[in-house]
Amino acid sequence: MSDIALNSVTKSFGGVKVIDRISLEVKSGEFVVFLGPSGSGKSTLLRMIAGLETIDEGTLTIGGKRSEHLAPGQRDVAMVFQNYALYPHMTVRDNMAFGLRNIRMDKDKIEERVQTAARILEMDALLDRRPAQLSGGQRQRVAIGRAIVKEPAAFLFDEPLSNLDAALRVRTRVELAELHQNMKSTMIYVTHDQTEAMTLADRIVILNNCRIEQIGSPMEVYLKPASRFVAAFVGSPGMNFLKADLSGRGAEQVSTLGNGARIALQVDLPPGAYELGIRPEAIQVTPSPADTSGKATVVERLGDRTLVHLHLDDGTELIALDGGLSEVRPGDTVHLKFDTSQLHLFDDDGMAHHAR
Amino acid sequence: MLRNTKKEWLIAYILVAPFVAIYGLIFVYPTVDMFILSFQDAPLIGTGDFVGTENYERLPRDRRFNTAFWNTAYFVALTVIPGTLVALAISLGVTRLSGRLQSLVLALFFLPYILPVSVVFRIWDWTMNFQFGIAMHLLDALGLERVPVFQTSTFFMPAVAFVTIWWTCGFSVLLFLAGLRAIPQEIYEAASLDNTSRWRTFRHLTWPLLWPITALVLTIQLILQLKIFDQVYLFSQGGRPNDNLVMVYYIFQRAFVNNQGGRAAAIAVVLFIMVIIIAALNFQLMRLSERNK
Repeated sequence: MSDIALNSVTKSFGGVKVIDRISLEVKSGEFVVFLGPSGSGKSTLLRMIAGLETIDEGTLTIGGKRSEHLAPGQRDVAMVFQNYALYPHMTVRDNMAFGLRNIRMDKDKIEERVQTAARILEMDALLDRRPAQLSGGQRQRVAIGRAIVKEPAAFLFDEPLSNLDAALRVRTRVELAELHQNMKSTMIYVTHDQTEAMTLADRIVILNNCRIEQIGSPMEVYLKPASRFVAAFVGSPGMNFLKADLSGRGAEQVSTLGNGARIALQVDLPPGAYELGIRPEAIQVTPSPADTSGKATVVERLGDRTLVHLHLDDGTELIALDGGLSEVRPGDTVHLKFDTSQLHLFDDDGMAHHAR
Repeated sequence: MLRNTKKEWLIAYILVAPFVAIYGLIFVYPTVDMFILSFQDAPLIGTGDFVGTENYERLPRDRRFNTAFWNTAYFVALTVIPGTLVALAISLGVTRLSGRLQSLVLALFFLPYILPVSVVFRIWDWTMNFQFGIAMHLLDALGLERVPVFQTSTFFMPAVAFVTIWWTCGFSVLLFLAGLRAIPQEIYEAASLDNTSRWRTFRHLTWPLLWPITALVLTIQLILQLKIFDQVYLFSQGGRPNDNLVMVYYIFQRAFVNNQGGRAAAIAVVLFIMVIIIAALNFQLMRLSERNK
């Protein structure tokens, strides 16, 4: 268990900058998820911590020790790769023991650690098999086991669940959460899947275009996104964005939507043209006329909830969330009420301003 | 659509027929004929009287056959494993390079392979010739005595083995490079996080993962080098051909110099059986190591 601190680290491949002066602190025992689209630099950042990519500028401290010049093996971190990266010709036991044998650990101690890890991951029966004889999920367990036996200062996960099928992914996700709760180790986890990020993280670091967009707890990121990018990237279905003109001051502030609907709100912004963001669950379908109305185009029934896709008069598309037993049908005109406390306005730079 | 099975078979036979005809004519028929010939007292052209196994019975008592057999074995020992190791070492070096530099270095190592044997002979004759070889001037400059490399039986086989490795290892390097590229980079990354030293990375990862390629290179080399002829024939000119005899050279001598087709055929059959036995042993070895994986 250890702190990890990055101080304005920078990385370029040839002339292309992939990490631009990123600073970040991961507290001991914390589960931090790097979330971002492909090409955002999240995997590169993780590999820089692991030592698999060099750090061009800036410093890296792991457990109080300056580490940017250390070889990967000397950084006291363990990594779980997306493609498992198991040694194909070794048994599960040898895969786990290999790293410990490299540092000439005592044989009995190695066996003890392998057994413990096997028990934690419930793979005692698999120890003498080779990776080719295992299923994808079992291989991923071995990869995690190989990390556990090292008892590292920090675990690094590089999209560990992306090669698993949907059902297994959900199960392994829960197991990883349990593992973190039991081991209380520092973990850094890279993913492009916002569900994994929301469910696993103590804190999410959202990366885009080689920079950090926002760092915060899952709910902070969800409820108070720092930018339009974060607002759009986190949440499924995604946030609705509508054109809005803000007018009036103080208690008389009103935003006018494209279709002329006027919505009262409280926000610290001067009048002008903005983009208004609102999550589907903040739009309520009401029986009587409310803030505005639209025509339902597609109704997706998910059992516990219903997603209503709408067109406003001016052509703006919108998704509203209704209950599981919603009676809306495609073609219906639907009245909508906006929860004004969950409105966000985005300025031209994409910065978010949240309604009070 | 209904399929006309008869017609399909007919088309298949027609398509395969040219190959079967040519294969039968230029491989199966001569092979069978050679077996028959080896039991006859035949000259180079035409058949002779049936003499039973006499051609074979002579061989253990034949001094020149003995020389040829042991020279071939010596040559195989000098080339197969050393050549494979050299190719492995070169490919391990080349694989660390990247981009154009890698292509350039690889091309340099592969260049000898595309040369015909006569050119190879000329190059190395110019280098090691007793009278005018460049290497001899080097020995002069160092104050050492000149060595008639290709005229001394001590140096002949090692020198020809060296030239052969230089000539043929480019191909093995290519095979090894393909094998090295097939090992996922992530495995090496995992190993570096596992504190694996360079030697242990080679010993415990690269070597075992590359073994199928190594076994393939060994087999190809083995079969190729058992059939050694050209280099020995060329380098023996003006030297001591009878001391440098190898199996194929001896077959050539018996058939084309001594006009004894029957006795030549018997030696050829022996070589044929040797290649088959060794190739089969090699195959078993590969299967064994495969099972250990």
